[in-house]
Amino acid sequence: MISDLTSLRRALAAAGITPASVVPAASADRREEAEIHLAQLVEGDRVEALPIGDPVSWPGPVAFLDGVQHSEVVGYAGSSPIVVASAAAAVRERTDRVLATRVMRRRDLAIGRRAALDAAGPALDALERVELSDADPPHPIRELAQAGAALDDARGALEVAVGVAYRGGSSAWLVVDGSLAESPVWARDPRMVGVAKSHSSLPFDGADLESYLRLPVGYRSPIFAPASRRLAPVRAWAVRLWPWEGKDLLHGLIRVEVAPASGTPETADRISRWLMAERAPISAPDPRWDRMLYGIRSVEEFLRATA
Amino acid sequence: MSAPPIGRVVATELKPSTPHQFYFWTATESAVGIGAIVRVDHPGRTVYGVVTDGMAYADLASPLHAVIGAEGDPAAAAHEPTSRTEVRLFLAAVLRQIPEEPLQPVPLGAVHLASDADVELALRMDAYTRSERPTGIPVGVYALGGHESPVLLDADFLLGPEAAHLNITGVSGLATKTSAVEFLLSSIFQTFPSHRGSIAAVCFNVKGPDLCFLDQPGEISERDHALYDKLGLAAEPLTSARYFAPFKADGVNLNTLRTHEALQHNTEPLVWGLREVLDYAEVVMNRDDIDAKADAFIDFLAERVVGREFTDELLRGKPFRVESFADLEEFFRAIFDFMEAMGRGGEVWRTHHIATIRKVRNRLGNISTRAKGLVIDDGAPNDLPWGRFDDRTVYVVDVAGVDPLAQDLVFARCVSKLREHLERRDLGVDHVVVFVDELNKYAPADGPDTYVRKMLLDLAERGRYLGLVLFSAQQFRSQVQRRIVGNAGTSVFGRMDMDELATPAYATLSPAIKIKLATLPKGELMLRHPHFTQPIFARFPRPAMLSGREGVERFPPGAELPFADAVARQLKQLDRRVATDAVRALVEGRQELDVRRALALTRRTRPDDVLAFFTAKLGRRVGGEVVTARSTIRPVPSGVDPYQ
Repeated sequence: MISDLTSLRRALAAAGITPASVVPAASADRREEAEIHLAQLVEGDRVEALPIGDPVSWPGPVAFLDGVQHSEVVGYAGSSPIVVASAAAAVRERTDRVLATRVMRRRDLAIGRRAALDAAGPALDALERVELSDADPPHPIRELAQAGAALDDARGALEVAVGVAYRGGSSAWLVVDGSLAESPVWARDPRMVGVAKSHSSLPFDGADLESYLRLPVGYRSPIFAPASRRLAPVRAWAVRLWPWEGKDLLHGLIRVEVAPASGTPETADRISRWLMAERAPISAPDPRWDRMLYGIRSVEEFLRATA
Repeated sequence: MSAPPIGRVVATELKPSTPHQFYFWTATESAVGIGAIVRVDHPGRTVYGVVTDGMAYADLASPLHAVIGAEGDPAAAAHEPTSRTEVRLFLAAVLRQIPEEPLQPVPLGAVHLASDADVELALRMDAYTRSERPTGIPVGVYALGGHESPVLLDADFLLGPEAAHLNITGVSGLATKTSAVEFLLSSIFQTFPSHRGSIAAVCFNVKGPDLCFLDQPGEISERDHALYDKLGLAAEPLTSARYFAPFKADGVNLNTLRTHEALQHNTEPLVWGLREVLDYAEVVMNRDDIDAKADAFIDFLAERVVGREFTDELLRGKPFRVESFADLEEFFRAIFDFMEAMGRGGEVWRTHHIATIRKVRNRLGNISTRAKGLVIDDGAPNDLPWGRFDDRTVYVVDVAGVDPLAQDLVFARCVSKLREHLERRDLGVDHVVVFVDELNKYAPADGPDTYVRKMLLDLAERGRYLGLVLFSAQQFRSQVQRRIVGNAGTSVFGRMDMDELATPAYATLSPAIKIKLATLPKGELMLRHPHFTQPIFARFPRPAMLSGREGVERFPPGAELPFADAVARQLKQLDRRVATDAVRALVEGRQELDVRRALALTRRTRPDDVLAFFTAKLGRRVGGEVVTARSTIRPVPSGVDPYQ
């Protein structure tokens, strides 16, 4: 048992290795997807740290979009689980430093195989039914995983819906928690910014990956076009919000996504400076405070309190 | 349409609602503050509460996070692009629940600011303002966010018989205590219900000109006029007032700051003789003096000697007639002469030892010395109108300028006389409010158990059955005898000193209430009343009478007059036709003692022809006589002896 980790870290630092302590929460979301999807650089020909300049407050109103979900297994019909779940999404807009909710939607779901949901009778009538595929034989573990995926989809759909609803009434900048690639509409919107905290899927390998992950605070990576994993193409770059030395490689590292038309170095610098200004107020005590914008946390808190 | 709620009750496991208190949150900007009265609406139940504490916090787990967010720069924190989410959470103490039973925790309802009707219900004022025979006495308004609701005290609990007495605490210099009493007396005189009888007040002025101008109108602002209107009161002074003050040592100039010519019509001397003082000899004796022997001798004097003929052949051939201190001194002199003549074995006269007799003589003689002006050696007394008190009249006894011993004597005798007459129901009124300022001086928590303190305690504990009500004030409540302030049914608190608030007596108040008390502006006070289950903050208008300072500026005290002029002024009060020059001529060359005696008799008799009566009582002037040298037998020429 190593009893003096501090000394060990000092020794590693002396050997040229950057010391680290904890892996930030949710920086490696969905570990089963942890892999490299090589992206294509659209700025320069190699990954290097680019200075972004001093933080600048976001001009004018800016809105934040996020969603939450919650599920419980409420019973088994035979060996098939019945899951009830809630998903909610909202947009909160900031004007004169004050956040206010502009759009909020919620779905209450009953998820399971058709036979299982039917067996529940009228008890689930108040909930929206989401039927899982019954092509395969019943397997409770697999069905729980499918239910989780269905809930993810439902939340994602809600997020897209509230984003569209907000955009219908406002042309303000809209910051989304996660990737813009979830929706083609988002991916085309020139005034939407996706801020991803998760780095399970990395865009580079080799020396480029090292440069990408070892960005100093206040620097960004070159703009790149992520490999199209889902629906829509976007442009992205990484920004280091907080020093990572002494903590973890991923501490304070976010991936920023914008529409392809906005993927210019000037726009990347400008948005990066705005995001640097969004570090305060910090989102503590949320364990993801190093990457979570306060506006996003405010949406989450609001949804948890109301949904 | 009812106003929208300003908050919601919130309850958690750590901060639950109970039957006696609840938490609620409000928007960041709201009119709610410490002391605000709120109403909680819930189907089947309405709860009224008063805010006793408040707190605010953000979604920050540690101050360190704020430092990190601002990167250690306090200035940068103000430029954060988003204001942190902040909660304003208030703690309210329950004033009343409707229905009263079953008594339950406060429900999670909407919170509204109290309206006039809500305040009336919350403070249970409906019980005594909406009955067939209402007994409400306006004391001020509950004010919040531009809204003002009248607050009334229950006369049955302020002036008896249910509870009684009022005590005011507050730091000196803000005039809150005096102003509050002045306003409240005005309110009582205007609104005390006739079906509860008649009422008067006796106020002891113990500081400067504080209570010297209660009958003189003062200027009040439009805002205060509006408050009077809101309370249904007329903004007027206590027009029915009589002032009493002892003389100065000269026996003719009044020892008061109310000596302006224009105020003499209702300013009278307070003068007592031996008879008035003898029953209160205990007041001037310290604990060591009070023994059975001295008591016995004083009783002997009171029952056998003073005010009647006393014969003792051993002392002198003719009877004694002791009516004054001068007569008493003559009586003592005779005793001492007799005992000296007795020589050995002459230490006892009529079972009283000479040491006891000397002690009583010294103490009683001390009264006429230290209370000179109040107690006269000779002449007729002038006292409060015992048995002829008028309804809604204030009697001010100004003892600010006299010796503390004389003050004690005045308190003791006045309160005792009030008690005697109220017991016999022949005072002239059914209730009397006695106002004593600086209570910590007259009834201290520590120190010897003086006659005055015992008397005040008796008044506080038993006065309400008689209609004798004590209104008292002091700077430090904790320094007053606890049973006296504890018996006050109604307590009023003005701005308080933090040291005083730190004493155990205020342990039931929240820190927020204490802070509010420590910073209360002039004209605001906190009330405790038997009907109010929690302390309530109220604002009262400025009394519509001159303050002491204003009074002295508008009615500067007259200069101390020469003896003859002072006598003339006193006679003029009885008859305006009296000419000063005529009095000067009458008094010229007379013994002052003779003049004072004649003046006292004139004042007591109040004859139709004042000057003639005064002249008659002065007696015939004894003319001067020039003594011429008498012729004597011529001396024998030197050197010649006719017998030789």
